[in-house]
Amino acid sequence: MSELLDPAFLRELEALRRRLEIRARSGAAGERASSRRGSSAEFQDHRPYAPGDDPRRIDWAVYARTGEPFLKLYRAEEDVVARLLVDASASMRFGTPSKLSVAQRLAAGVGYMALARMERAQLASMRDGDVRLASPQRGRGGVTGLLAALGALEASGTGDLARSVDRIVQRAARPGMLVLLSDFFDPGPVLSALRRARAAGHDVALVQIVAPEEEAPNLEGDLALVDAETGATLDITADAAAIDAYALRFAGLCEELRGFAHGYGATYVRVRTDDPLDAAVRRLVARSTDG
Amino acid sequence: MKLPFELADPRGLWLLTGLVPLVVLYVLKVRRARVDVASTWLWASAQRDLLARSPFKRLVVQVPLLLQILALVLLALALSRPATRHRAIVGDHVAIVIDTSASMGTVEGPERTARITLAKRAATQAIHALSPGADAMILEAGRDARVVTSLDRDMRRLEEAIDKLAARDVEGDLGAAVALAVDRLRAVGGDRKILVFTDGALANPDGLRTASTPLEIFTVGEEVDNAAIVRVDVRAGTDGASHEEEVQAFAVLANFGKQPREVFVTLRLANIDDPLASRRLRLAPGERAPVVLTFKPTPGDRNKGLILELSPHDALSADDVAYARVPAGQKQPAVLASPKGSPWLERALRSDPLVDLSKGTPSEVAAAAVSDGALYVYDGVCPASAPAGDFLIVAPPAGTCLGIGVGKELDKPAITSWANGDPRLRFLTLDGVHIAKATALGVEGQAQSLVRGVSDTLVADASTPGRSGTIVGWDVGESDWPLKASFVLFMRNVVEVARSHRAQGATGPVHAGEPIRVPVPVDVRVAELLAPRAHGETTDPKPREVPAQAGLAVVSDALLAGHYLVSWKGAHPGSVLVPVNLTSERESDLKRRPLETVAGGAPVASVAKLADAHTDWSYAFALLTLLVVVVDAWWLTRAPKRPTRLAIPVAPPRPERRPA
Repeated sequence: MSELLDPAFLRELEALRRRLEIRARSGAAGERASSRRGSSAEFQDHRPYAPGDDPRRIDWAVYARTGEPFLKLYRAEEDVVARLLVDASASMRFGTPSKLSVAQRLAAGVGYMALARMERAQLASMRDGDVRLASPQRGRGGVTGLLAALGALEASGTGDLARSVDRIVQRAARPGMLVLLSDFFDPGPVLSALRRARAAGHDVALVQIVAPEEEAPNLEGDLALVDAETGATLDITADAAAIDAYALRFAGLCEELRGFAHGYGATYVRVRTDDPLDAAVRRLVARSTDG
Repeated sequence: MKLPFELADPRGLWLLTGLVPLVVLYVLKVRRARVDVASTWLWASAQRDLLARSPFKRLVVQVPLLLQILALVLLALALSRPATRHRAIVGDHVAIVIDTSASMGTVEGPERTARITLAKRAATQAIHALSPGADAMILEAGRDARVVTSLDRDMRRLEEAIDKLAARDVEGDLGAAVALAVDRLRAVGGDRKILVFTDGALANPDGLRTASTPLEIFTVGEEVDNAAIVRVDVRAGTDGASHEEEVQAFAVLANFGKQPREVFVTLRLANIDDPLASRRLRLAPGERAPVVLTFKPTPGDRNKGLILELSPHDALSADDVAYARVPAGQKQPAVLASPKGSPWLERALRSDPLVDLSKGTPSEVAAAAVSDGALYVYDGVCPASAPAGDFLIVAPPAGTCLGIGVGKELDKPAITSWANGDPRLRFLTLDGVHIAKATALGVEGQAQSLVRGVSDTLVADASTPGRSGTIVGWDVGESDWPLKASFVLFMRNVVEVARSHRAQGATGPVHAGEPIRVPVPVDVRVAELLAPRAHGETTDPKPREVPAQAGLAVVSDALLAGHYLVSWKGAHPGSVLVPVNLTSERESDLKRRPLETVAGGAPVASVAKLADAHTDWSYAFALLTLLVVVVDAWWLTRAPKRPTRLAIPVAPPRPERRPA
């Protein structure tokens, strides 16, 4: 389908999409009944049955006529928006493959699963504190548009995740799923922004993408580190003490994100760029909070 | 600050100057490599942690510097050969006798270190090993014993005294120095001890046997082969073929080694490198070989310095060179002063074809220029003062003649005895000599009486140091002596003695350490001495004054072999070049004598025993240095803990964030 979704990955996504649970409310069509009372239960559409679907929702009349199992979709059921927030700052170009490309593939995967469930998916790229929203897509037909929007992303500029998240929350008419794909190397008040998003009813999932050398730096000697986003330099002596201190701070960052996920019912998944993506998607679907 | 150990070679401490560039290297700003990273945020937090550490932690950061300083200090100490001392010299009063004879100038080993240097080094170690409160005196054992410094506790003064010592070109007398040490220590009480530092090549080993104070002997150097010039004599002669006058240099060479030696013997004038004559010789072990080198002198060569040299030089170079003087010529000048002529004396003098006779009245002779080394013969007169050379006075007038009383007349005195051992009366007999009339000569004791009558002296010796003087108390014309062969022999002997003095220019062949006695005009009170250059010196010493008395200048400290130039001013200015040599077979024989026997059972040990009394910690310091370097290398290259997967500790610190 695209280099972002190879056949093997697609098969894995097809298997997992049933287990994707979105804990937010929107107003569009969905395959599950709304929890809100008094709303319409008008029939809207059929779709083919897939393994993992609730067999109670099979339209047995159609099955009797066609011999094929179809599910009935009702208007009154909620459909949710999966907002895929991809960090496109310059720091995301590091790693092999780059953190941005991993973020693109993961976003494609999550978006595919949402669209395959006849839900909406919308890409939002974050850079320089601003948010660029792509057109929301719906149904399988929207996969192509989503992949095209993802493929157009490039890593550049600076990042300000807190500001970007706040803008998304402000712009969102209804809460949905916020999948934030970033390295989270951002000294800004990201957690505060995420708490606000959670308070607004968004289902927050944090996907931290790091390169192996960021987890365990392989630096030695007297170095001038150049920040990819700000261009600022920092003189260090990469001895054992400095490496240990960095590793401790990195662990602190991860623990901070994990703590937020635990405290606010969010999902936290840490992915190394050399990790297999299907495992990361499985943890995301399983609502991991341990990274 | 007193270190707990001694530094045998403090030059190693120069390495400490390396601390300066080492510290500078740490002060200099490091040129850093630029590395792009996704974010410096977490690194900045880490850096703040490092900067905010306590001073103790900051010191830890400088561990490599501290380790490198420590390694440098340890290495400097290791190179300085730190050592602790175990052995103490027991004794309240210790006399340290250091052999300074010529053999101590022998150089050995790959570093060509002189034995005297080793001895001085060991003596310095010995004074540092003295018991607390003990004092020491330093004695030099050259040809004569000399107290360099009396009993002293000041290490610095003792070290300076030892440092001033040097090997002399003399035949040593260690026994005399030990005897002097015994004598000096006898005056003080308490526990006494004598330490002797020598190479064991003693010219006079018997002297050690008499030591009554506890003696301990330390030997330096190993037994080495040596060849030497052990005798030298230079005379004027005649070439048998051409009948021309030539200079003949006789030398005796000896090989004291155990291996045969091939040597060149070269004769040259001092200050001129071109050889006058040269011979190649092969000396078997223990062989003594005479060699004669000749050359035809020019008139300008007379009285100049001659150098006889063995080459190549060996371990002891002092005996590889001998010094001599070009003789003044074969013909002995003689001056006959007589108021009325003296045919008998003139005939006797002219009978020697190698005598250049001039004659005149006494006043004419006194006014004439002084001939170097001439023989003065006075007949019937007595000069007012002793002439510059040898003299013979015949029939002096009554009164006093040069200190000899010329007294009563003797009628037909009979000759009863004569000093046949005196060179002037050798090979002759005065039996049958009849004298018609003579005068009795007043002498002070038998020593001055050469020929005696029944109760009077007929011929007196009026010699003074450096010149031979003879007074005959009768007119030879009034005796039958001129008709006898003994008269001619007597005159020949007098001429030969004068010739000998003229050839040597001094009282005889001079060995280093012996006083040089130079005849000078009687009116000279001060002479000037130009001594040879000392070993290792590059400039000539300054001339110095030498007192002269009664026509003799004496140089008492000629401790170096070489040419000594004694010159004087006054009515009859002049100069004499005196060659001084070691030429000692006993000193050149470097075989070690069995000191245990000659020293009466005194303990004998190598100076290495003194050195072994130290524990050398160089290796320990070197190992420590290596250990520190290894630790430093490990510290600098240790791999940080690099987890393949992030292992989050229980409560890692949160990274700092901007406020919301």
